[in-house]
Amino acid sequence: MRSLQLLVLSLFALPPIAGLLLLILPKVLGRIVTILSVVALSAISVYLFVNFDKPFQILIPGYSDKAVMIADVLLLAYFAFIAIKRKSVLVGLLTIGQAIALGYLIKLLGNHEGGIHAQFYVDRLSLFMFLLINIVSGIIATYSLQYIDEEDCSPYRKKFFMFTMLWFIGVMNLVVSADNLEYFFLFFELTTLASYIFISFRKDKESVTNALRALWMNQIGGIAILGAMIFSLSTIGYETLSFQTLVTSAHTVGLLLPLALLAVAALIKGAQMPFSSWLLGAMVAPTPVSALLHSSTMVKIAPFIILRLAPAIKGTHLSLAIIALTGFVFLAAAISALAQDNFKRILAFSTVSLLGLMILMAAIGTQTAIVTSLILILFHGISKCMLFLNAGVLEKKFHLKSALDMDKLAESGPFTSFIVCIGFISLMLPPFGAFIGKWFSIEILGSTLRETRGLTALVMLAIACGGAVLSLLYFKVMGLLIARSGEKDKVTFETTHPLYNINLVLLLSLILAGVICLPFLLIGYFGPVASDVLGSAVAVDVQSNFSISIGNMSFPVIPMILAFLVLPVSLFISLFVRFKKVDRVKEYACGEKIDYKFNSFYFDTEFLLPYFKAVGLVFFALIIILTVI
Amino acid sequence: MQSIIILSILVLLAPLVGGLVYGIERKVKARMQNRMGPNILQPFYDFFKLADKRLVMVHSTHAFLGVMHFISIWVAVAVLIFGGDLILVIFLHLLSTALLIMGGFSTRSIFSHLGANRTAISILAYEPVLIIMAVSIYAVNGSFQISSIIGSEPLLYKMPLTFIALLLILPIKLKKSPFDVAEAHQEIAGGAEIEYSGIFFEAIYTAKWLDYIFVYALVFLFGGSNYLLGAGLVVGTFIYLNALDNSSARVDYRQMLKFSYFVALPVAFINLLITLFN
Amino acid sequence: MFELKKFRKKSPWILHFNAGGCNGCDIEILACLAPKYDIERFGMINTGNPKQSDILLITGPVTKRTRERLVEVYNQMPEPKVVVCCGSCASTGGIFRGMYNIEGGVDQFIPVDVYVAGCACRPEQIIDGVVVALGILEEKTKEIEKTIKLANKPVVEEDGQVNRRNMPAELTYETAV
Ligand code: SF4
Repeated sequence: MRSLQLLVLSLFALPPIAGLLLLILPKVLGRIVTILSVVALSAISVYLFVNFDKPFQILIPGYSDKAVMIADVLLLAYFAFIAIKRKSVLVGLLTIGQAIALGYLIKLLGNHEGGIHAQFYVDRLSLFMFLLINIVSGIIATYSLQYIDEEDCSPYRKKFFMFTMLWFIGVMNLVVSADNLEYFFLFFELTTLASYIFISFRKDKESVTNALRALWMNQIGGIAILGAMIFSLSTIGYETLSFQTLVTSAHTVGLLLPLALLAVAALIKGAQMPFSSWLLGAMVAPTPVSALLHSSTMVKIAPFIILRLAPAIKGTHLSLAIIALTGFVFLAAAISALAQDNFKRILAFSTVSLLGLMILMAAIGTQTAIVTSLILILFHGISKCMLFLNAGVLEKKFHLKSALDMDKLAESGPFTSFIVCIGFISLMLPPFGAFIGKWFSIEILGSTLRETRGLTALVMLAIACGGAVLSLLYFKVMGLLIARSGEKDKVTFETTHPLYNINLVLLLSLILAGVICLPFLLIGYFGPVASDVLGSAVAVDVQSNFSISIGNMSFPVIPMILAFLVLPVSLFISLFVRFKKVDRVKEYACGEKIDYKFNSFYFDTEFLLPYFKAVGLVFFALIIILTVI
Repeated sequence: MQSIIILSILVLLAPLVGGLVYGIERKVKARMQNRMGPNILQPFYDFFKLADKRLVMVHSTHAFLGVMHFISIWVAVAVLIFGGDLILVIFLHLLSTALLIMGGFSTRSIFSHLGANRTAISILAYEPVLIIMAVSIYAVNGSFQISSIIGSEPLLYKMPLTFIALLLILPIKLKKSPFDVAEAHQEIAGGAEIEYSGIFFEAIYTAKWLDYIFVYALVFLFGGSNYLLGAGLVVGTFIYLNALDNSSARVDYRQMLKFSYFVALPVAFINLLITLFN
Repeated sequence: MFELKKFRKKSPWILHFNAGGCNGCDIEILACLAPKYDIERFGMINTGNPKQSDILLITGPVTKRTRERLVEVYNQMPEPKVVVCCGSCASTGGIFRGMYNIEGGVDQFIPVDVYVAGCACRPEQIIDGVVVALGILEEKTKEIEKTIKLANKPVVEEDGQVNRRNMPAELTYETAV
């Protein structure tokens, strides 16, 4: 037990230490240190998961509470400094708001001198997030070693970038294991700070504007958390800052306002409309940052919080409001994505959309829904990470940003185009994990229709349509990427830097391994994690007819194996297959011999975005109003 | 065990039956236009002739994806016949269409690209309705498993509107007039399948037969355990589709989308709500 | 013995190419498809796609604009294939022969198997021509058929793949004259 606790603590401490080392060491040594620490982090998180038996708390001495308080104040001071330096009224006002709330909280805390609290709580959900955070972010960190090296800035800033990335990983580890809300608030704000630093990294005007936007939007989330703390302390029955106690006592107290405020913070972090623009603005930063924010870390705080809240809010008005909002966002973000040409923007919108689905599943909170949410979190993380890292390769090697310019990619960079293809397909088609998420969510919504008397019918409609729109979106982008002429039959792969290549191949094999291992993962991984989330055992059994039952759903294995052979395997073969003794003729174009430039349908949905945001705002208001009533 | 053998034989025979359906369809269509029409076995003649052509392709990737399209649609039909999960079957079918679309996109051919784009859009048009249909069936029947749907009482009486919605989108699915933009023979010369020839086209051609089986099997589900009713529905749908195909002109893809979202989808959705509030 | 060859006759798919005629012959070809003549009863389909067709029906004389396209489309058809010239224009240049923009009959460029006479050949004649062509089709082998003008040698590449993309030659000054 003790050793596990120490290992968890090392997950917190190792990344910042490695970051500091990186700052002082020369380049090559720094690289080695980073890679070693990343490997160590991944190994520790795997070890933790394997050797874990029951949730434990980590007790730390009381004076660290004071340190956290001081850190909070310092952080707010830094935000105030940013507000003055960048002359941003909004950030300033929100900082003042936060300061007032924090002051009030400190005053409240003075009255509530409790004994020693457990400040960290580690259960399987935390370990699940550790795995995702450390492995995927580790891959991103090794990738960015090379990426940032090709960036046009001073060596010091390069090191600083890597340093920020590493301590950010440490903070993420802290976020998912913090139990005391005060600590949680600090770490939440630290991730906000990290996003500000990341987004403003390139220092041009656009970066700074977007960074400030990310800052103030997330500060609203911070205020929501502070509000949650204040209400929880002053509500009779809660009077606690512990996340766990809050969740477990919610049923007896009945007032859900603190939980609703936490959910609001989560939804803002998760870039749900109308707060999606901070995540979309984040793409001005170097590409690894987008990969980091979109896939494994930042935005995944959102489904994480909702998963934590799930046992408490299941079946309440609050969860209904969240379901309505996220179902709407799923469709709206998918539709808005259709109008985009920029590759990263397309990816960003699809992240917002899929995040909606994850949060939705978490908010439903039945056994199967939790498992689905976890599946989505994991596999979306890996696929998106691969796509974003690939976007980085596209920018650095092929100098391509807009999807419309990519119509020659399959000839100059078949491997890159193949990766994009697999990435998109893994988000929508069987047998990939994210598809399983989509499939289960439709069935779950379908099966909860009776209980909610059709209230979720509209949400289900949104999911059905949104899924189709997303497929169209992926096809649209893929169509521009994979066209190659028959001039040469043999595919010759391009060479990229090994640090790029290795990481992409690693992610690709993770995706494929995920498909193959999915039945085992369901039994040995998602099932236990979901049991920990719900606090009750989730039945995941193997059935006689080669299917796995999760709650009231069943996952047939044989069709999935067939689908695996048909899709990923055949796509892979299609790159290498060469038919012998077959003539190659020109493409039919009524006998013309011109080389055409390819394009896709253009969908003018940009004008809808403000309306979507307005509706999203209404839903946000609904979340608060419904819980207060 | 015995049932597994029977079902396997059904799966193996599916392309044959599909070819026959296609042959009958061509005949029926011709008779509706007051023509003689080809032999009922004509699709099989075409099949053998195509096998005899000199092998020609654009590049191997493209040709291979075409073959995989055929195999994947067979997989979807097999899962359907073996009574798998309805939504899974719908998505497996989407997978096979995806392979066709990617095949279409993988060449630098304008018509192929246009066709693939339009096929992707037609997915957008029909998929939500199919999913709503599956969920409505669940609402009535309590299960997504096709094997239990086929054993229950006829669905048609409980969800007539869903059946109508299905009828409305079937022309999109089968690329028939008025919603045949994806194929549009006179306009883009067949769309995504244009670059295939010889035995590679044979794969696409046979996949089309399997598509018939897939669609008519979906229709057959509405009969539930009343197989006679199911067969009647299939025949009725067959005649309706051909009559529609013969008597209507092509609309463009925007009109198709509008039709499916403002007519077919609400119809299916209203039926879902009615079942829920009963 | 089960011979695939005999099915060639049973499902001839047609590609219709207008090389520059007056549309008279094309209308007659379309009439063949219509209920009165209904060539679909022989299993014929007008595919509009060279890669899936067996019979190339050409109407009109070859003009300077269409000659390259004609050769290209012909090369995209997989063997065995037959060419039927419909109307006197396609056969010889007909009424347009000798004009500045006309190259002459189709047989100047690609090997023609059947000539159907008539300025606007009648549907019955077309059907008759196609039937004759079917006889020829059944006898043909699967060897590559080269065009007469504007032709390069087919190049055999690795894996025995023949690159037919460059078989239609670019139009140079010599070939143009
Ligand atoms: S042969 Fe007569 S009808 Fe036919 S294209 Fe020539 S001019 Fe027209």
